[in-house]
Amino acid sequence: MELERELRDLDVEWPQTPELRLVLGERTRRRSRRPLYAAIALVLVALAAAFAVPQSRGAILRFLHLGGETIQFVDTLPPAQERPLGEGLGTVVSFDDARIVVPGLLLPQLSEQPPLRLSGNVISIVFRHNGEPVLLSAVRQDGSFLKKLAGGQTSAEWVQVAPNSWGVWLSGAPHVFFFPREPARLAGDTLVWVNGTTTYRLEGPSLTKSEALEVARSLRYPRKG
Amino acid sequence: MLRAQRGDARAYEELVRPHQEIAFRVAYVITRNAADAEDAVQDALIKAWRALGRFRAGEPLRPWLLRIAANEARNRRRSAGRREGLALRAAASPGEAAPSPEEALLNRAQRERLLGALEELPEPARAVLAYRYLLDLSEDETAAALDVRRGTVKSRSARALEKLREAYGTGA
Repeated sequence: MELERELRDLDVEWPQTPELRLVLGERTRRRSRRPLYAAIALVLVALAAAFAVPQSRGAILRFLHLGGETIQFVDTLPPAQERPLGEGLGTVVSFDDARIVVPGLLLPQLSEQPPLRLSGNVISIVFRHNGEPVLLSAVRQDGSFLKKLAGGQTSAEWVQVAPNSWGVWLSGAPHVFFFPREPARLAGDTLVWVNGTTTYRLEGPSLTKSEALEVARSLRYPRKG
Repeated sequence: MLRAQRGDARAYEELVRPHQEIAFRVAYVITRNAADAEDAVQDALIKAWRALGRFRAGEPLRPWLLRIAANEARNRRRSAGRREGLALRAAASPGEAAPSPEEALLNRAQRERLLGALEELPEPARAVLAYRYLLDLSEDETAAALDVRRGTVKSRSARALEKLREAYGTGA
């Protein structure tokens, strides 16, 4: 009894409970076509508004909200490091678990599937395309986790990935990319697009726009086994 | 609950928010790493949301949530494949005032030694004692978090206390 009492009286320093985010939306459990059309309309409005804003000397020149990703155009980029694509992507998860976090997740069709990784509510995979490493990240549209800062030397081009799927091709000077819980990283040319309720981000050091679009259009629900 | 089961995300948030801290600590006992515990509970909350349709109305929510959080923590620890060092520390100020600074220091050292002995126990013993005595979970909640029967909680607690007594010394 003495030991039990001592255990009960222990005053333990627990780590602080983090602010857990319940990134849930009605869409998670019920699906209809209406949100898809609404999402496309929102993207179009956001793109039109962003490109219509005249350049100014303010710190933030333009915003682009594309599904779960926000791109800010700024006049001065914050300090960021160049780091390998596969660094800090989180823990390995099964495809079934990945689909719980990103229900609409589609993946490249590969003979050998590299591991899927989870950080925050972002699912990522690094694979090779034409022999070069490529990073694909996916976030549910209501996740709002990915953030980029682009300077004046980075250009943004509106691209159509599929009949109902739109995106932006960021190219030119490197931009600064914020991944959940990771320090800022310098990122190269990147395609960001929305497909259904999922926002995708594809980056590779030598990826061209046509290659990026080719990869984006090839994503499928993976075969079992 | 009914609103949450019908897909109302805000109703679900209201239901689970009071249990986030205990779920995080239950996960932390297993992962011994705050970041992994956070990820485990985050994933558990999403899984619980998706499984809410199967939850039987009228049953207590907390043990059900703790079971899912503990399972996620075990999965995460397995995939991380690492063992953290001493995770728990005795708080700096004891619950009751000590007669002298020396005695306060001795009390603190004694509590640290007890926690150290607890940390060195194998996981089943460490977890059952942490849940029952540090987190003050009920036997039902402990059974849910450990995914065992209630009777197993009783027998496992008794064996774990014996092991701890051997490691720490009786009465001290």
